Amino acid sequence: MRSLAALACAALMTVTLPAAGQDYPSKPIRVLVPFAPGGVVDVTARLLTQKMSERLGWSFVVENRPGGNGFIAVTAAAKAAPDGHTLLMAHTGEFAGNPALFPDVPYELERDFKPITMVSDTPMLLVASKDAPFNTFAEVVAAAKEKPGTVGFSSPGNGSINHLAGEWLALQANVKLLHVPYKGGAPAAAAVAAGEVPLGVVAVPAVQTHLRTGRVKVIGLTTAQRTPYDKSWVTAAEGGIPGVDSSNWVGLFAPKGVPDAIVQKLYDEVKATLDNPEVRERFAQAGAVTGGMPPAEFLARIKTDAERYKEVVKKANVKPE
Amino acid sequence: MELLSDFGLGLATALSWQNLLYCFLGVFLGTLVGVLPGLGPVATIAMLLPVTFTLGPAPAMIMLAGIYYGAQYGGSTTAILVNLPGESSSVVTALDGYQMARNGRAGPALGMAAIGSFIAGCIATLVLALFAPPLAEIALKFGPAEYFSMMTLGLVAAVVLASGSVLKAVAMVLLGILLGLVGTDVNSGQQRFTFGVAGLADGISFVALAMGLFGLADVILNLEHNEKRGVFGRIGSLLPSLSDLRKCAGSILRGTALGSVLGILPGGGALLASFAAYTLEKRVAKPPREFGQGDIRGVAAPESANNAGAQTSFIPLLTLGIPSNPTMALLIGALMIQGIQPGPQVMTERPELFWGLIASMLLGNLMLLVLNLPLIGLWVRLLTIPYKFLFNAILIFCAIGTYSVNNSATDIWLLLVFTAVGYVFIKLHCEPAPLVLGFILGPMMEENLRRALRISLGDPTVLVTRPLSAAFLVLSVLLLITMIAPSIRAKREAALQE
Repeated sequence: MRSLAALACAALMTVTLPAAGQDYPSKPIRVLVPFAPGGVVDVTARLLTQKMSERLGWSFVVENRPGGNGFIAVTAAAKAAPDGHTLLMAHTGEFAGNPALFPDVPYELERDFKPITMVSDTPMLLVASKDAPFNTFAEVVAAAKEKPGTVGFSSPGNGSINHLAGEWLALQANVKLLHVPYKGGAPAAAAVAAGEVPLGVVAVPAVQTHLRTGRVKVIGLTTAQRTPYDKSWVTAAEGGIPGVDSSNWVGLFAPKGVPDAIVQKLYDEVKATLDNPEVRERFAQAGAVTGGMPPAEFLARIKTDAERYKEVVKKANVKPE
Repeated sequence: MELLSDFGLGLATALSWQNLLYCFLGVFLGTLVGVLPGLGPVATIAMLLPVTFTLGPAPAMIMLAGIYYGAQYGGSTTAILVNLPGESSSVVTALDGYQMARNGRAGPALGMAAIGSFIAGCIATLVLALFAPPLAEIALKFGPAEYFSMMTLGLVAAVVLASGSVLKAVAMVLLGILLGLVGTDVNSGQQRFTFGVAGLADGISFVALAMGLFGLADVILNLEHNEKRGVFGRIGSLLPSLSDLRKCAGSILRGTALGSVLGILPGGGALLASFAAYTLEKRVAKPPREFGQGDIRGVAAPESANNAGAQTSFIPLLTLGIPSNPTMALLIGALMIQGIQPGPQVMTERPELFWGLIASMLLGNLMLLVLNLPLIGLWVRLLTIPYKFLFNAILIFCAIGTYSVNNSATDIWLLLVFTAVGYVFIKLHCEPAPLVLGFILGPMMEENLRRALRISLGDPTVLVTRPLSAAFLVLSVLLLITMIAPSIRAKREAALQE
């Protein structure tokens, strides 16, 4: 009986072997994440895949391959079978930051991947501890001019997008700040809350708690546009430092060889999921804006970002990584 | 009075059918993953995270927290039975616990670990309920200078962990620090000692190091000596005797106190808890002291400290939103998915969540005791399996566990390397425990020292002008003197002979 059932299954499977795009997905989709569980990229991946499987009945496996500045996960995704059953969830750092920082990145965006879409975009903030002697961009600049290279700002790590955003601000304001790296966003924000470091460049989720307790005050955004999360926060340009636009986006990528039909199908489904008001609300609570731009537009955005960070790294002489 | 009504609200939340079920599910899963070496709470919680989307915030947190502290209970099991510490905290438990198992006292060791954990868990939960906000302030007082000095004290104390030569212990600490430096340097971003291997960019995996040095090296040794008969002697009683309990009462309380305090510090305090408790116990316990040869107090104290620290590490999470370890970072993620920002406002805005979680911890600790005591018989019987079958299982579980931490094959190779190194250490009579402490603390020490100096613009006096930091350094120097002064060293040898 059992062998008969197996035979029937096998027969069924050969019939439904996927012709590109149709009958996709035929097995669980693996989403590689270059970070340990719990970070923004990981939570984004889990939230998106959960909502997609609720909507479509597809099954996903989120696989964390942390380490090596994201090289491990990104290279693994680039080498995966291009059938659309392995995808990559990555953030600004892997595709716009790393190429500017490292001489030998083992992957290339356009050679190895097809961007699908941006999932979320989180602005970063320049924040200060509550007793710090400055409240605005202008006052920060004045303090830094007085004692060049001594006013410290915390970031989640050397070469992180937050680090680059801080350097970018300093470049545009023509001052020198002291970079103090931590291991992750939460410790970097806590250091500002405790007054260890007067300034910090942090994403909204990392600093929300400290804003509520009043231990940390907002100087302003590192983006060109104000955020719907709190419309009272000024942008760096409004605060007198023009030309800075740095945010932490998270996007979904497929290996280069994946057929366009599958990429399009994935894009449509991700977009539909992101348009769900409940999903928007979840991202909004964490200070993020949901993405959903078409693949070509996303690719253009990444290339612009990569160019800008390359210039920041060169001019600010950020080393080495 | 207000506390009572708050706690009443918490009990009402925790005692609902649904929450009781999730609490049990959490501690049960936690015990299981704790027992399997390497497969830790982080992987389990990550896997279950999507499931919690559909639950409310209270049951989700109750279950996830249950996995976390349940794993602390389970983690000691393999450390005691087969010398396999899957987490840093159980390294210390393995020292005396495994010796007890070899002497046929695996049952009492496991029982004492469970009882100590239960008492510590309950006391620490009360601490959490009563003093969470003021304690959180202490956590913020710890800057990089304080962490550096505290860890210096920890490293000096690590020498006490070894029961043999002081010189060898110092050498092992230094070797541990060197191994800990492998990987990307936090301050400069430079890769050090990685030889271009991508899998080493984030350092050597702790699980691979600990399992190789302790468990698998021991397997080789056992195979060398005991081809025919079983490794373990007779299987004695299953539960600790009354005199065991009396002997350990002080150890459990001291361990609880130390663990509760250290657990509050988000920058690695909880890591120190079990090491610190063991060190303290070795100094203050009444003779006869047989630490290193199977002293039950060497199991009771670190296990209590470790579980107390697991409970109080929720204080920085719930009051400041600062995660003290990777598991806590995941819990923050879980809360954020539920649309809740961790922080002091949780207590006022969502009292049913905060107090429900605390009440569930008390219930969960009770469930763990009830769950674990009957399991002891089962675990101990595992030791009667002929070693030729047992060691194969150990190898497989170690390999699976090591791989599952980072999904990295490099870690399996590291496991192999450290097994060989561990075997050589045994032959040279070098004990691996001080190495492990150096491995854990060395890089954190460096990170904090360099950060402290960076913030002070290169002025090293910050280490002595900040009172807390100065106090730790003075203690370290005193401890060092007592170890180096020859007359006292003789006394130390004598104390160890006892």
